[in-house]
Amino acid sequence: MARVGVFVCFCGANIADFVDVPTVVEEAKKIREVKFAVDYKYMCSDPGQQMIRDAIVQYRLTSIVVAACSPRMHEKTFRKALSDAGMNPYLLEVANIREHSSWVHQKDKKAATDKAGDLVRMAVAKSIANEQLHEISVPVTKRALVIGGGIAGIQAALDIADARIPVTLVERSPSIGGRMAQLDETFPTLDCSQCILTPKMVDVASHPFIELIPYSEVIELDGYVGNYKAKIRKKASYVNFKSCTGCGACWQKCPVKVPNEYNMGIDTRKAIYTPFPQAVPNKPVIDAKHCTMLLKGKCGICAKFCEKGAIDFKMTDEVIEREIGAVVVATGYDLWDATPYEEYGVGRYKDIINSLEFERMVSANGPTGGLPVRPSDGKVPKTVVFIKCVGSRDKAKGIEFCSKICCMYTAKHAILLHHKVHDSRAYIFYMDIRAAGKGYEEFVNRAQVETGAVYLRGRVSKIYQKGEKLMVRGEDGQLGQEVEVEADLVVLATAIIPDKENPALARLLGISYDKYGYLSEAHPKLRPVETAKAGIFLAGCTQAPKDIPETVAQASACAAKVCGLFAGDTIKKDPMVSTVNKDFCSGCQNCVKVCPYQAIVTEDIPLGHGAKEMRTVAKINEGVCQGCGSCVAICRSMAINLAGFTDPQIINEIVAI
Amino acid sequence: MITLSYKGKNTFLEAVNEKSGSDVLECYQCGKCVSTCPVSNFMDFPPREIMQMIKLELKEECQMANSTWFCLTCSACSGRCPREINIPAVMEAVRHMAIEENFHPDSKQVKNIRKFHEIFLDMIRRYGRNYELRMMAEFNIRTRNLFKDMHLAPKALLKGKIPLGVKSMKSAKAIKKMYEMADKLEQQSK
Repeated sequence: MARVGVFVCFCGANIADFVDVPTVVEEAKKIREVKFAVDYKYMCSDPGQQMIRDAIVQYRLTSIVVAACSPRMHEKTFRKALSDAGMNPYLLEVANIREHSSWVHQKDKKAATDKAGDLVRMAVAKSIANEQLHEISVPVTKRALVIGGGIAGIQAALDIADARIPVTLVERSPSIGGRMAQLDETFPTLDCSQCILTPKMVDVASHPFIELIPYSEVIELDGYVGNYKAKIRKKASYVNFKSCTGCGACWQKCPVKVPNEYNMGIDTRKAIYTPFPQAVPNKPVIDAKHCTMLLKGKCGICAKFCEKGAIDFKMTDEVIEREIGAVVVATGYDLWDATPYEEYGVGRYKDIINSLEFERMVSANGPTGGLPVRPSDGKVPKTVVFIKCVGSRDKAKGIEFCSKICCMYTAKHAILLHHKVHDSRAYIFYMDIRAAGKGYEEFVNRAQVETGAVYLRGRVSKIYQKGEKLMVRGEDGQLGQEVEVEADLVVLATAIIPDKENPALARLLGISYDKYGYLSEAHPKLRPVETAKAGIFLAGCTQAPKDIPETVAQASACAAKVCGLFAGDTIKKDPMVSTVNKDFCSGCQNCVKVCPYQAIVTEDIPLGHGAKEMRTVAKINEGVCQGCGSCVAICRSMAINLAGFTDPQIINEIVAI
Repeated sequence: MITLSYKGKNTFLEAVNEKSGSDVLECYQCGKCVSTCPVSNFMDFPPREIMQMIKLELKEECQMANSTWFCLTCSACSGRCPREINIPAVMEAVRHMAIEENFHPDSKQVKNIRKFHEIFLDMIRRYGRNYELRMMAEFNIRTRNLFKDMHLAPKALLKGKIPLGVKSMKSAKAIKKMYEMADKLEQQSK
């Protein structure tokens, strides 16, 4: 005979204002199995928990029902109270009479009370069928995989490796560094981006706990938290990195010219190239799409000039495997293509560029030697118009969100322009100036006061050519009048979008992403670096637009999460997972298809006792299973049971109302 | 439509900044000055817009506005300005430049205000202080409105607000000297 204890919480006024708590207690007492029922102002408080512990001993209770807030809040608290009293914590049921009753039925007190009574009756009925469950222990492989070698990936890898945990850092391009390596100076301190980044890049290359795999991609991820298996495809570089000294003879002699991605296509690189002088690793790769030797079988000049014989045109892609325990995804951002802004003449006028192109121009190691120039005639511009929110906050043509960093980098560009061309002037068309951050507002003021950048509030309506100049028409919202600026150069602060391969990567990793392609965190406020899949974490702009300090902070947070995960030899996991009753399983494999975590595989078992014929049944990996219950719902032969939500428990609940 | 074309230097802005000893670029267009100003309702461009016009080098528009003439220099705006701009000084600077260049709005109101300024300064030059009765008379004559505010005169006289004569002042000579020096300086600068 079950002996259930019911504990009803007032939650201050949250519940008690709309639910008559004493009535709920009286209702609970009418149930045959309920041997003890009581109410208290705050059940989650220490005295409240003590009441539960005392009642368990005094009334020899076999299961507990707490009628209070959502189990998301305090289920763990009450489970702990149960185990402190020597009871299995999974004999607890929480009846959510706050979010499910008092908060949503504030207009009808009686109905709210009746519903709370029903919820308690259901929980009591369910708890009678509760079984003792025990946490699952999963072994851990202590190696982390970091995907993406920008500042986020670099910081995460360094922080994890500094904790003496091996890290595999996978980077798609030939060098780590990412977008930050393309920047000139960084706001709000204007320190040189390369100067603060390259030491970290060198650290990555030389760190004993970091395995750097450049020019490669993750193509498969199997397994579950603590026990992932990743397949990484190393793209053929056609250069033997072991014998290459990075002398540079090959790319000096290569006759093929290709638009240079590092300089946003402003100048050219060769078909065999290192992306930039400070590249890590500083070894060239051959761009197979443009190399004449690989395309047509003629040339091979680089091989002739390579003293070390490091060039190998027969090299092929190679797939390697790594066993890892956790993944940090840091795939970064891209700039939105502004072509839909036809009224600006994007693509029609050469002297309209985007912010990264401007950034490369003003960089000391950039294609123009640090001086901004007009792409049309190579002249140095005197009047430069910067347009913010191009594609951002524009649901008609671009994306709805604010790209967050454009306000700051545009202020920086105005300052850099003034530094490079003293007699120039920046006109900035803006919608708002969003400069929230340490030293940010002061930085924008600096742009306005020191460099005389003119801020004009309004969106530009059109741009047209008049002689050599570009006429930029907008409204000065401060004067309420139309203005037209005679510009030499127009710089568009286009929206920040995630890497275009994010959705494919998300599917490969089994994590979710939003409509823009940003990878989704587990909780927008309280779990900002974790994904819904245990053991996979997010750093940097792959999750949302953010600036360098925020990216670094998030990357370090990821490292802390990884270190926490690897702190013990095993990981404790909730026992509420599905199991298959093989006798009932018909082998239809519908569950395999619906499982969002790829936790279900198939296995072959003998058809009968001692039989030689085999049949296929489903098998659930309890390490991966998150207990969502999709398989239970789709199983037509009722062969799958989810611990904590078994058929008897659910049927009891239904019968109770 | 305002057309902005940069000629390599902010001549107007720099002149105003130098004259006023304040930096107009500091203005971030919050509008606190406008809501503070007791006469902003009567201006064709409130102080915030004047600041923006200076930033945009709209010299002509700025000098044609009646705002700088309407400004009472009461300093309520600068007392509350979060960017510590001395707005009355900026207004005054624009006003001075307009007088120097003989470029000012054609409106009767502004003309009257200019006459008032001139007569007032003339009173100080003559007596070292204001001589109210003469000031009023001259203003009414020069503006060709003889009976302006005349109905207030009996009450003001009875209360002693308008002394019939002007009291002599010890330092009147010194003030005269100041005027002479100012004239000299002005001529030198020309």
